[in-house]
Amino acid sequence: MLLSITDERSDMARVKLDITRRQFLMTGLAGTSLAGAAVMGSAQPALASSYPDPAWFTKGEVVSTYNYCDMCPWKCGVIVKSVNGQVIKIDGNPADPKSRGMLCARGQGGVSFMNDPDRLRSPMIRTGERGEGKFKEVTWEEALDYTAEKLLEIKDKYGQESLAIFGHTTGDTWWAEYFAQAWGTPNAAKPSTSICLSPREEASQLTFGIPVGGHEPMDWDEMQCITLIGSHIGEDSRNTVMQDFVSAQSRGAKVIVVDPRFSTAGARADHWLPIKPGTDTALLLAWINVIVTEERYDTAYLDEWANGLEELTAHVAEFTPEWAAPITDLTADQIRETARVMSERLPQAVIMPGRHTTWYGNDTQRMRAVFIINSLLGVYGRHGGMYFNKGVFLEDYPHPPFAVTGTAGGCSAEPGEESAELPLGPTGKARADGVRQGIDGGFLRGATAIQELIDPMITGEPYRIAGLINYGVNLMNSIPMPERTIEALKQLDFVLAIDILPQEHVAWADVVFPDTTYLERYDDLSTIAHKTPFIQLREPAVAPMYDTMPSWQMSRELGMRVGLEAFYKWETIEEYLDTRLRSVGSSIEKMHDDGGVIIQKGKPYLEDFIADDESPFHTPSGKIELASAELEEAGFDAIPVYEPTDEPPAGYYRLLYGRAPAHTFARTQNTPVLADVYPENELWINEDEATALGYSNGDRVWVENEAGTKTGPVLVKATQRIRKDAVYMTHGYGQVAEGLTISNGKGASDTKMMSRYALDPISGGAGLRVNFVRIAEGA
Amino acid sequence: MEYAFLLDMSRCIGCEACVVACKTGNELPIGTQYIDLIEHTSGTYPDLQGGFQNHRCYHCIDASCVAVCPTGALFKEDGLTRLNSSACSGCGYCVQSCPYGIPKMENGRATKCDGCASTVAGGELPWCVQTCPAQALKYDQRDLILAEAHERVAAIKGRYPNAQVYGETQAGGLGLILVLPDDPEKLDIPADPPPVPVVTDVWKNVVQPVSMGATALAAIGAGVLGIIARRNHMAELRDIEEKELAGAIAGDSDAEEVQP
Repeated sequence: MLLSITDERSDMARVKLDITRRQFLMTGLAGTSLAGAAVMGSAQPALASSYPDPAWFTKGEVVSTYNYCDMCPWKCGVIVKSVNGQVIKIDGNPADPKSRGMLCARGQGGVSFMNDPDRLRSPMIRTGERGEGKFKEVTWEEALDYTAEKLLEIKDKYGQESLAIFGHTTGDTWWAEYFAQAWGTPNAAKPSTSICLSPREEASQLTFGIPVGGHEPMDWDEMQCITLIGSHIGEDSRNTVMQDFVSAQSRGAKVIVVDPRFSTAGARADHWLPIKPGTDTALLLAWINVIVTEERYDTAYLDEWANGLEELTAHVAEFTPEWAAPITDLTADQIRETARVMSERLPQAVIMPGRHTTWYGNDTQRMRAVFIINSLLGVYGRHGGMYFNKGVFLEDYPHPPFAVTGTAGGCSAEPGEESAELPLGPTGKARADGVRQGIDGGFLRGATAIQELIDPMITGEPYRIAGLINYGVNLMNSIPMPERTIEALKQLDFVLAIDILPQEHVAWADVVFPDTTYLERYDDLSTIAHKTPFIQLREPAVAPMYDTMPSWQMSRELGMRVGLEAFYKWETIEEYLDTRLRSVGSSIEKMHDDGGVIIQKGKPYLEDFIADDESPFHTPSGKIELASAELEEAGFDAIPVYEPTDEPPAGYYRLLYGRAPAHTFARTQNTPVLADVYPENELWINEDEATALGYSNGDRVWVENEAGTKTGPVLVKATQRIRKDAVYMTHGYGQVAEGLTISNGKGASDTKMMSRYALDPISGGAGLRVNFVRIAEGA
Repeated sequence: MEYAFLLDMSRCIGCEACVVACKTGNELPIGTQYIDLIEHTSGTYPDLQGGFQNHRCYHCIDASCVAVCPTGALFKEDGLTRLNSSACSGCGYCVQSCPYGIPKMENGRATKCDGCASTVAGGELPWCVQTCPAQALKYDQRDLILAEAHERVAAIKGRYPNAQVYGETQAGGLGLILVLPDDPEKLDIPADPPPVPVVTDVWKNVVQPVSMGATALAAIGAGVLGIIARRNHMAELRDIEEKELAGAIAGDSDAEEVQP
């Protein structure tokens, strides 16, 4: 049963791609192989149990290739196994410091992802109106030439800055970083910053002068107490994190979980604090209160490494557990007890920095409070606390100076230094997302905010953004206010969608470039800042399927056509990689022979910096800033205060969202093997609340927000695991794209319920937990 | 040599990696999975307990599915319960008899975990064991697995006072040894499923006659039918011989027609 389509959603519903097919030719730029072996994956046997048939890996020579997984941005090193030209299996690479030979459900689904029959197969150019989804298949020459022409038009009319480039997944470095900087647009953005990490990264910069980084530097092996604020490990199924968390807990580490929902992590915690949504900062302030008034902090550490303890102590005097209890729906005893459990174990007691931290709009301040506590506990630079990530040493392939320094950031990018001046593009324009407008509008600092680039596409303020290259971002299922995104797409002069699957937004493109998956290509080296910084290799297991082209190659082919030849001087991707690897005494061949990873020396602990007479904290003072002078100067609170968030109106629930362990964001719902295990999401609602409304498990309902938009139908999960004033669903469902034959119409979409978001005025993060919904009947 | 799996439920985090590794490594069709992660919850918000059942074949030593299988498609090997689908008649007795509800019917035949027979024979670890990020799974000789299970239980007793090994003796001993953080009933696992003889009694005295009458015989392979048919035919022949012999002695050529 498909959704019935209402008028409000008519624009979003029409994503059936109507494609005029062309005859495939073996020539052309794309790597070609239409050979049968590459086209479809393993045949489905008629019988499930194959005993006594021999295992697939005994039926021919097994060819193993190294890769870093692209099924989520974490980038576990993997080994991909093929037999007789067919890719069959992916497992963790034992030599890789992220996977250590193990692999999560998403990683195991990579071959199925590659073999998804709904994949985009050919470059296409729009034939109907934008949004109708009518395309004709064209050659790569035609698609690239046409795209280049349109980009150069935008450059001539408005300047390079008028092109926005969005990117996600591990091929995004070629677009949101490399092409964007070579071309000269500061408007390059990734959802992984302002819809995810930004508050955490900016709070870390303000407090410690360093980023947290893509690989959170938790020193798990000796940790004695782990506190999770919302981090739902186990449902968030990042491989390494699950490994380390389970090992630490099994070893005897205490676990404190703060979550309005009885999550997987909450259910195995020593202390689960069923907090009222939106009140975490009150809890954190009360914890600080207990730690400072009872003098439970690491005095020697703070004397040596931190400024502002006196100011902090005075500031939190009123924020007692008794003050916080009624705000948070916790008891003063719970608050006091857990503060003591943590501080008794310092410095091996860490509040995990979390990852997706864009919740209520005041999120940088909440993360400041988290980092203040971690500082009181003396964790940074200590064994069993947090180590200092060190970046990889690896030279770039030589290229001319970039036309603009990028600020796309992102969870798979390397941490960079924040520059004092905003980078300007070639025609003198800074980024258009409202940064550096301070407390009166926009936001203070941080990576480019993707959701803030949508309005300029519609209003032309502060200047016109006329073009969009979108690499892999599921626009309608990530950026809040998707109806606004549709308006923007209508206004643009030119839209290029580069993707693997016909996701909802692809119907709105003028040109479509079909990407290969990570299994079908070489790619740039992955570099991981870490306790033991390391480099990862991606090598193809098969040639590109259909008429797809690797991300690096598309970037190069387009770059060559818009005057950027100087930035793409390598002849082959192998030459590019070997040139880079030469700087560390290696090559593709050597790296392959050495196990697919190059591991370098880190600089993880305080003693390593003391030995170098260097401070690991890059604040102006060289110390941890418990009170932030920079925030104060900009008109913000130097130390966080609690700011209540709006309550749901009568009859509505706060919409909370999270992850399912077999899926990644809105990316994998159509992957056959993963959809088989977890085909659709559910609406978690308190069991008693459901009964009062007349619903029970297995009922299908619609979810409606205050703007009257609906999503569904979705299964009711009536459970005791959630409070009565909130509902919860896993993200990535309710997609409306007829080209996605498995996931189309399954479940409900949290993104489509986000008719508003709360902009964090410090980091530009979009707080997404500020929407209220109710259960509705029918469409 | 008896082998076994270790499944440490104090570690399992319900991430489904084992489910997908098994599906891909064993090239299972869409619609089939050998492992199910099933959430369980008790109490009222916020006084709650909960966790996961990692539901999969328990590889019973005295497997009732093996006992009831008329064709021998199900059999024990190396301590694990194998299933040769091509020998399966689709009778469904295994589905009815398993105390853990494991075998499923798919395209007319039974399907279940066979302990990664061909994978292990090819020199690899079972796929679930190899991938588990929680390191909750192991595969080794049964006595080593039991020893490790007891060690792990001892190590977690402080945190989980009811921690126990499950599978040393339950259901007559299992090829899947679990470390449980609590009593099995709290984790939705049958405490001690009935011993196999009871199950086969039920099968012989209740299930079999019923299913015989319900044309289950039609589903049994030709060999079995043939044996039965031949047995009946031989009985028939013997009857006819006896009657003829009796007739010949009695001199009566109008022998009664013998009903088989």
